Amino acid sequence: MELFANLAHGFVVAFSPINLLMCLIGALVGTLVGVLPGIGTIATVAMLLPITFGLPPVGALIMLAGIYYGAQYGGSTTSILVNIPGEATSVVTAIDGHQMAKQGRAGPALAIAAIGSFFAGCVATILIAVLGAPLTKLALAFGPAEYFSLMCLGLIFAVVLAKGSVLKAIAMIVFGLLLSMVGSDIETGASRMAFNIPELADGLGFATVAMGVFGFAEIIRNLDHGAEMNRDLVQQKITGLMPTRKDLTDSTPAILRGTVLGSILGILPGGGAVIASFAAYTLEKKLARDPRRFGRGAIEGVAAPESANNAAAQTSFIPLLTLGIPPNAVMALMVGAMTIHGIVPGPQVMQKQPDLVWGMIASMWIGNLMLIIINLPLVGIWVRLLRVPYRLMFPSIVIFCAIGIYSVNNAPVDVILAGVFGLVGYWLIKHDFEPAPLLLGMVLGPLMEENLRRALLISRGDWSVFVTRPLSAVLLAIAAGLLVLTVLPVLRAKRDEVFTESEN
Amino acid sequence: MTSIRSLAGACAVALASMCAFAAPGQAQTYPTRSITMIVPFAAGGPTDVISRIVTGHMAQTLGQSIIIENVVGAGGTTATTRAARAANDGYTLITGHMGTHAASVPLYPKLAYHPEKDFEPIALLAGTPILILARKDFPPKDLKEFIAYVKANAEKVNAAHAGIGSVSHVSCELLHSIIDVKPISVPFNGTGPAMNALVGGQVDYMCDQIVNAVPQINAGTIKAYAIATAERNPSLPNVPTTTEAGLPAYQAQAWNAIFAPKGTSPAILATLNAAAGKALDDENVRKRLLDLGSVIPAPADRTQAALGTLVKNEIAKWTPVLKPAS
Amino acid sequence: MADTMGHTASTTTARNTSAALGIFLLALAPQIFELVWSFGTIFGWGSGRGPLQVVAAHATALATSIPDLLVILSAVPGAIAKYLSTGSSGQVVKATLSSDALLALIYSYPLFAVAIGSLFVTIRGAQDYIGGVMLAALALFALWASSDLQGMHGFSFGAGTAPRMFGVLLLALGAGIAVTGLATDGPNVGHYSWRGPFFVAAAIVFFALAIRPLGLVVTAFASFQIAALGSHETRWIEAVIVGACLTAGCAVLFPYILGLPMPMFPRFLIQ
Repeated sequence: MELFANLAHGFVVAFSPINLLMCLIGALVGTLVGVLPGIGTIATVAMLLPITFGLPPVGALIMLAGIYYGAQYGGSTTSILVNIPGEATSVVTAIDGHQMAKQGRAGPALAIAAIGSFFAGCVATILIAVLGAPLTKLALAFGPAEYFSLMCLGLIFAVVLAKGSVLKAIAMIVFGLLLSMVGSDIETGASRMAFNIPELADGLGFATVAMGVFGFAEIIRNLDHGAEMNRDLVQQKITGLMPTRKDLTDSTPAILRGTVLGSILGILPGGGAVIASFAAYTLEKKLARDPRRFGRGAIEGVAAPESANNAAAQTSFIPLLTLGIPPNAVMALMVGAMTIHGIVPGPQVMQKQPDLVWGMIASMWIGNLMLIIINLPLVGIWVRLLRVPYRLMFPSIVIFCAIGIYSVNNAPVDVILAGVFGLVGYWLIKHDFEPAPLLLGMVLGPLMEENLRRALLISRGDWSVFVTRPLSAVLLAIAAGLLVLTVLPVLRAKRDEVFTESEN
Repeated sequence: MTSIRSLAGACAVALASMCAFAAPGQAQTYPTRSITMIVPFAAGGPTDVISRIVTGHMAQTLGQSIIIENVVGAGGTTATTRAARAANDGYTLITGHMGTHAASVPLYPKLAYHPEKDFEPIALLAGTPILILARKDFPPKDLKEFIAYVKANAEKVNAAHAGIGSVSHVSCELLHSIIDVKPISVPFNGTGPAMNALVGGQVDYMCDQIVNAVPQINAGTIKAYAIATAERNPSLPNVPTTTEAGLPAYQAQAWNAIFAPKGTSPAILATLNAAAGKALDDENVRKRLLDLGSVIPAPADRTQAALGTLVKNEIAKWTPVLKPAS
Repeated sequence: MADTMGHTASTTTARNTSAALGIFLLALAPQIFELVWSFGTIFGWGSGRGPLQVVAAHATALATSIPDLLVILSAVPGAIAKYLSTGSSGQVVKATLSSDALLALIYSYPLFAVAIGSLFVTIRGAQDYIGGVMLAALALFALWASSDLQGMHGFSFGAGTAPRMFGVLLLALGAGIAVTGLATDGPNVGHYSWRGPFFVAAAIVFFALAIRPLGLVVTAFASFQIAALGSHETRWIEAVIVGACLTAGCAVLFPYILGLPMPMFPRFLIQ
């Protein structure tokens, strides 16, 4: 078996002391980066890139890869503890994760996120090794038309996400889409709604808006009169640190489904990982016997998206390793790291650089193992952090967020914008609008518009491409089906209401 | 290890700044503290890699560290605007390129700087040649057939580029203006997605820098018609030049060069120019640049005056090509 | 926040007046914002029009666009269709309208109408009604901001089509939510406090303005104290100690361990 020989070779490479050390450093830095609000993986990998110039290429890439998937572990921590998602992929984790923390169940939430991530990471690593090459075809088969249809599906996920009014959720998605329009037009380069502010020329950053509507808004809301009571309750309620047997049985199927969804969607360059986490959440909510638990601290709502985003983080290496094409900004930086070492990845990188490729694949498994060993004991520390009085906690969060946002582009305007979005977020809370659909709209908006326009340019304005291309047609059909499934319960609920009233 | 390395670096910086405190005054020779080099593109891209290779050697010559600061946005013009407004004390420099210091003039009518009026040219570093690439099953076999095919099927073919203002966009506009066609150009967000679409056969052709294309060409997932330089490139010996292939008018190179804000003292500029020249003569630097497929300028082209002329000529070259497009 | 059902007729009227007044101010918010901003030009900060110019320009725009408004009102259905397809209101009114006049026409006047309308309706769910109106206002503002962009030509989308499409969609959804607030009983608007938002925002703004000139150490510590003012629970000795420790931690963590380039100390101390 060639595969086993390759894997064995990979483990020999990965187990060399220097590479083990690099893997550990990557995992530690990744966890740290994920935990610190605002500091994104892209910024960190970019900052640490120069350090890797002095390292051997395999070690350098093992470390950078470690930072990337390590951040997926760490990213859930702030989502759960303080309701601040640092990455687009952990927005959904915040919904149920933070609710669990408010009920004193931060420990189980953090632990299940780590366990789910570990399982998903292991499965996805094996998948890369076994099916990497054939799965590449999927990435190549996805043209602009398919992406547009996938984004439509993504928007339907965002509707399902809502725990309150569907109308308000749709309004928030559209608000997010509108915000995503700020910046330069992709086709003409025209500046859209940027008001001649140079920092807006490339649009609003995800971190800026997310820190604002989640982080700052949450803080401002907690400072309201009457909010002290709730906070004190959280601190008293903290129960067990580890998930109970029931938690584990509840989460197992969610982790399995999340892993499968994440592994498939992760291969798609551009937005795959984000959609994966939303899709996993939606699937769980749809399959649940009692969907109303979601948004109110359902452990599956943490397990599924966390498994999905980590699986996706692993399988997103497939296009890089098999095609030599970086599927996202972090991978593009890794290509840069390889380039500086004189290795330009291409379709033959697997044959030409077996040490690099298989060493990296083997190191991912080791890295995941290290991450769960690092993260499970940390759960206790994080939970203890919740006991810090809020009067000291909130200024600290403000400072961390401000530094984090500033560090992304070294732009003070970004910090002010995040503050503005904090006030917007406070307003949204007061009017019972949910911020999660807004963020999803913001992430999907440009992908949707750009791919629609690309598809229509290529087809010369023929809209039928979306249904004549089989993959695209299937995706649109799923989206339509899901929409019906979403609307039906609303109608049925109305009918049930009528019935209950007439019975009484 | 990471923290130890950076701590060591930090100590070095701290020591250096303490030394600066110990002996204040302007009497000392430039540079007395670390220099910031703004790179207007993301870390790991061609401009960034070239900057890092050359400045790494320059720092040794100058005896001070050169800190690279990547500032991305609006085709590099955000960073260039910042550099234009920086103090002209020689401690803030920028690696400009074809886009930021030439093509941006016609592309962005509201540009907040002018490459000639707001900058002092220091030295040309290296250029990356442009290739004409196509999907592997695109019918034309050579450049002549390609031109005929694109002209005959201008309604059907799709060109791809990596976004407005990117090297692949402006160099393809130049090609289109020379062969006088206006096919549909499909914009992508960066070189990676554009290359993905080309390999996947979603689009027909594109023009791009040599760095990312070499392995794809060697693996046969895409094909190259010609390289837009005067000589063939050692990393792609089988790809003919545009002159050999019958389109001598198409010459394009993504050049990278160091600039300082206007008004920086001539002595500082001369010091930096000499350091850059020394770096380009270094065996190791040359090898690493050549491995990337870059073209290193001849000594005569490395002077400040030569760079000033290049910027002037490039602005004149791109303005008619890009004006009607925007 | 939840006691909403027990309002009497007199409180409803009072709330309607304040709602209408609020929407009226919202209708003039961009103009007021530009005026406040323009005071900076007196001191030479930033660029743009001076306060007198701003007042004059917007007053003229609001006044002179009334005839245009009447023309548009008489041709509303056709105008909307044409606006969407061509991206300019110039099909009905002359295309030479200034940006200020467009702001008045697209943003301010429709909101004036809503403000007046609010006086004559029963608001049953103020949370939804105000929320919906504000979303609609955002949509109108976006429509104005994207009114200078190119629309569809041939099969090419143009820069303005998508923003306008989403703008119209948000306008419709906002209106829908506002109607829900009129048609069904819902909660009242929650209580807004000023202390938390004010000091947290002040801390953020201070951080943004000070980080470049003053460096991380001074900025982080000062911002911490400003943010701490936002809570009445703050104990000062404790805040100063924790702030100092946090600043020290950040000063090691961000620039050294994570390698983020960041000024550490005030600029005037270094040079």
